[in-house]
Amino acid sequence: MLDWLDAFLISGFFGVLQIIGLGLLVHLQMGLSRVANFGVAGFWGLGLYVFGVLYIKVDWPFGDPFQFLICAFLATVASGLAGLLVAWLIADLDVDGALVGTLGFATVVLILATTQTELTGGATGLGGMRFPYDLGPAKTNEFVWVLITTVLVGAILLYVRWVHRSPYGRLLIAVGTNEPLARSLGKSTTRAKLTLFATTSALMGLLGAMQGVMFRFLNPATITINITLAALAGLILGGITRVWGAVVGVLFTVGLFDIVIQFYAPLPQEWFTQAIPVAREAVFGAALVLVLLFRPKGLLGEMKRPQLMRRIHDFN
Amino acid sequence: MADTITEPTTDTVLEVRNLRSGYGTVPVLNGITFDVRNEIFTILGSNGAGKTTLLATLARLIPVMDGSIHVQGQDVSNMPAYSTARLGVGYVPQESAVFPDLTIMENLSIGAMIGKRSTEERLEEVFDTFPDLRTKTHLRAGNLSGGESRMVACGRALMQDPQLLLLDEPTAGLSPLYVEQFFETIELIHKTRNVAVLLTEQNATKALGIADRVMVLSLGEGSEPLDAGDVTTERLKEAYKL
Repeated sequence: MLDWLDAFLISGFFGVLQIIGLGLLVHLQMGLSRVANFGVAGFWGLGLYVFGVLYIKVDWPFGDPFQFLICAFLATVASGLAGLLVAWLIADLDVDGALVGTLGFATVVLILATTQTELTGGATGLGGMRFPYDLGPAKTNEFVWVLITTVLVGAILLYVRWVHRSPYGRLLIAVGTNEPLARSLGKSTTRAKLTLFATTSALMGLLGAMQGVMFRFLNPATITINITLAALAGLILGGITRVWGAVVGVLFTVGLFDIVIQFYAPLPQEWFTQAIPVAREAVFGAALVLVLLFRPKGLLGEMKRPQLMRRIHDFN
Repeated sequence: MADTITEPTTDTVLEVRNLRSGYGTVPVLNGITFDVRNEIFTILGSNGAGKTTLLATLARLIPVMDGSIHVQGQDVSNMPAYSTARLGVGYVPQESAVFPDLTIMENLSIGAMIGKRSTEERLEEVFDTFPDLRTKTHLRAGNLSGGESRMVACGRALMQDPQLLLLDEPTAGLSPLYVEQFFETIELIHKTRNVAVLLTEQNATKALGIADRVMVLSLGEGSEPLDAGDVTTERLKEAYKL
């Protein structure tokens, strides 16, 4: 049925979706409330590993899809709680401190994934996850999983749009631009930041769980800083304060390399093993430098407020 | 400073006693004591006197080192800023007083996160006070002139339905036309909305024109509050320690 579709193209598209989802969530953290996060891989990886370990190691009395749902829920909660803890620890730090703190958290997760061999399989990884359904060939299952992930990322996009239009979003923007002034508005800015960080970290964890199902394997090599850099590069390139910034930026970076060039560029095959991956990182870096020099607010420009916000009755 | 402070009366909105505050371990205010009733209370002082530090401390954005602050009889000395705002304190800083990425409408509406009255009702009142804002609600606050920004910031504080409005040099840097207009508006706000106003100013002549009482702040120390009608050049010089 899906003979026309390359299996690698499915996983390439899945990867782009994952980075878009993470970029959208980082947009809320760094673009709206300006809470720095250099540990995206940690929250995402924690979700991936909590899901995987629970799914594989625990002897559940029921099968899929309940096993998947319970494990994914617990992975989401674990990442959310970790986000709450990290946000509380970095709440009063400046940007540099927050970057180091979140990077430290991601490093701890990576070290635990690599060293807790009994639980995680260590550096060699751990297999045994399945799709929560069986529609026949692996490619069909993967294709459907990509569709489900598309719906999830679409829901995250709608959530981001809702936050932009809500009083909560306006508070977050106020916190991001002038926190001392925002404190005098009658709402706890610390609580607003903690809630946001916990929610977005939880959703990062859910995306991690989706990754676990797609590849049916836990591999510490997937939770390195590269995933953080890909999300951040895409977001900054597209426009860190814009709702669609992550979508546009990630399509221009990860999408361009992992789908367009990978599958459609008429380049010698041997280039794809060494030259292209190196060029990918170099082009990401160069694009970031150029954007920061000549269009610091990203391709989409500065924050635009929705038209709705201009009418009185939208505030009641 | 004023050792002969009168006891708080029933209409006392703010009581400040021996207030010391500053940045880190360095005090800027050294034992300020005064009350604000339902009136326009002006604090005069030159650059570096501690006016901005005083207002930021009263808004609970700077920690209290010693002394106390009571708002409507409640001790707010150790309260976070958001709790103090909920007691009816609206704060308009001198600089960075608006949220530049938000529209005028959003800047105003964000003030209405507390209180029970509808946002629409409050907005109408703010537009009555600052009619120029009514037609510009869609503009980004970051693109406004100094005078317009000041109106938006003041409007946002009014949206909080405050009992006490803290205005930090509201006319600094404005053109003479705006200055005149702004002082008239402050007087109007006090009279029509029954809001106590505590403002800091360098422009003594204008401030005395609308103030009920005046205190001079000099090097972190406050003079005894004077009735605005009793202020003479000699008494001001004495208060300024000239």
